[in-house]
Amino acid sequence: MSANGKPKIAFFDFTSCEGCQLTVVDSLQDHPELLNVVEIVQFREAMSEKGQDYQIAFIEGSCTRESDEARLKAIREQASVVVALGTCAHLAGVNALKGLHPLEEVRKYVYGDKWEWYETYDARPIDAVIPVDFAIPGCPIDRNEFIAVVKALLLGKKPPIPDYPVCVECRLKENVCIYTKGKVCLGPVTRAGCGAICPTYGSSCEACRGFISNPNQDSMKDVLAEAGLSVDDILQIYTMFTTYQVREKLLQKG
Amino acid sequence: MSLTILSKQAFQDFVARMLADYRVAGPTPKNGSYVFEEIHDPSELCMDYPTTLLPPKKFLLPTKEVLFKYTRQNGGVLQDPPETPPTVLLGVHTCDLHAIQLLDTVFSSGHYDVHYMNRRKKTIIVSIECLSPCDEHSFCKSMGTLTADEGYDLHLTDLGDRYAVDVGTKAGEELLAKYATVKTADKEDIQQLNAVISAKWPKFPYRLDFDVSELPSILELNMKSPLWQELGDRCLACAACTNVCPTCFCFDVKDEVELNLVDGQRVRQWDSCQLDEFATVAGGHNFRASRALRQRHRFMRKGKYILDAHKHLGCVGCGRCARACLVDITPVGVFNELYRQQEAGS
Repeated sequence: MSANGKPKIAFFDFTSCEGCQLTVVDSLQDHPELLNVVEIVQFREAMSEKGQDYQIAFIEGSCTRESDEARLKAIREQASVVVALGTCAHLAGVNALKGLHPLEEVRKYVYGDKWEWYETYDARPIDAVIPVDFAIPGCPIDRNEFIAVVKALLLGKKPPIPDYPVCVECRLKENVCIYTKGKVCLGPVTRAGCGAICPTYGSSCEACRGFISNPNQDSMKDVLAEAGLSVDDILQIYTMFTTYQVREKLLQKG
Repeated sequence: MSLTILSKQAFQDFVARMLADYRVAGPTPKNGSYVFEEIHDPSELCMDYPTTLLPPKKFLLPTKEVLFKYTRQNGGVLQDPPETPPTVLLGVHTCDLHAIQLLDTVFSSGHYDVHYMNRRKKTIIVSIECLSPCDEHSFCKSMGTLTADEGYDLHLTDLGDRYAVDVGTKAGEELLAKYATVKTADKEDIQQLNAVISAKWPKFPYRLDFDVSELPSILELNMKSPLWQELGDRCLACAACTNVCPTCFCFDVKDEVELNLVDGQRVRQWDSCQLDEFATVAGGHNFRASRALRQRHRFMRKGKYILDAHKHLGCVGCGRCARACLVDITPVGVFNELYRQQEAGS
């Protein structure tokens, strides 16, 4: 806690596009009063200072190399509360796609003949390395949800992350169902909280926020197959953001 | 009550005039479907719409509403939300009218719900007779909701170039007197109204294989039917069925605090018995953890529990849930299958 009584918070980034931190900057424009209740001591994308005495750490990005692990552990050691910020940190997100191919092939594809210069391994969510208290899902995060999570943390409450599917928000907005338009959508199994933003603008949900706790995946796959998707097509859409989750599930099943 | 005639042009003028004093909502087109929306000009209306995505219920029980605002300073002060303006709800189909009658009963008996009832008291309903089915999913005739004798302030029947207007209440009569230019129905009008009404009934099929009065007992005897597990295997638990339902009234209540952590508001928003978290209680126990139990609960409420508690069926046959379901779980399919199983077993 700083002298003014405000909790100190810090932002960190690992393998990511930093779009979630950009969304945080965006939230600060809508809600500058956030700075009345917290003190930001470290936020590379928005300031030069690098305070080390933070209580709440927001971490964006996946762990994709061995050297990330020590840095993650150091943050965990300092912070009372660690929050995964966005899908890369929460679920490994699109970074996990590289795990679908032999690592050497991926490294050569990305770095060409300099591939050995760059350290990397399979992408993992940060909770594969350190205990994580809460996650703000999404690619990118939703700015309103970020504010709601900060408020909950300051009140000592569990952040209000929905555990129901995107369809709920979509129906209440009176969107015409994507399936009615002859397209497919992962809304029925994907965690809400985004306000069904993609279907609202006519695009299918691609599960960037990950799955709800208890999705009916068998029935979802039947729906996709009935809509004319092949097994390969279904795998494709299931591996956009949720490769890590799907692989973990398969490993559990053996 | 009395029958009057309103030409189509006079109807447009009627709506245009009431817009000065009322919030007016009615069926409007949206992306190839229809929604009940507040209008600012009569031309936005589409009175011969088939059905809407959400029922007009949302004007009485908004998807999300502020119950009160609060501040934790000065020992805590509560402040009521702004009052709803007087509203005219146009073009309500009779299935939805029956649903609103059920909601009126639910929210006025037992715990009197001041938020719903304040809004309801300020709402004038102008319903419209359906002359052909919305589509293959509607089963209003089987549910006895294909017409209505009460529940409306004014009721319209489309006679081509004019509406026959049935006055249901004093409020309806006053609205008409103040804003509309009408003429009294003559013999020819009444003959045409009778012809239109008798022509409509054969256009609507009975879709239940049994009389609806048998529905509560069919459900009661089928509590252990294997059908519930089959539905549970298919159900995505996406809650589309309950969210589009005109009779569902479950809600959740939450506090939303401002960033100063002192002021805030208590809100309620629609909830659904089909969601995992709905029946999860303190300590984490979920007393309806399986989708099968949740689907059973839904149909029991629609065809039996609500009737037992409130003397109105919980399903009005609008077909919205059937249209919305991605895995083809429909009331007609479920009720007929239970009936078939019962007949086969007896």
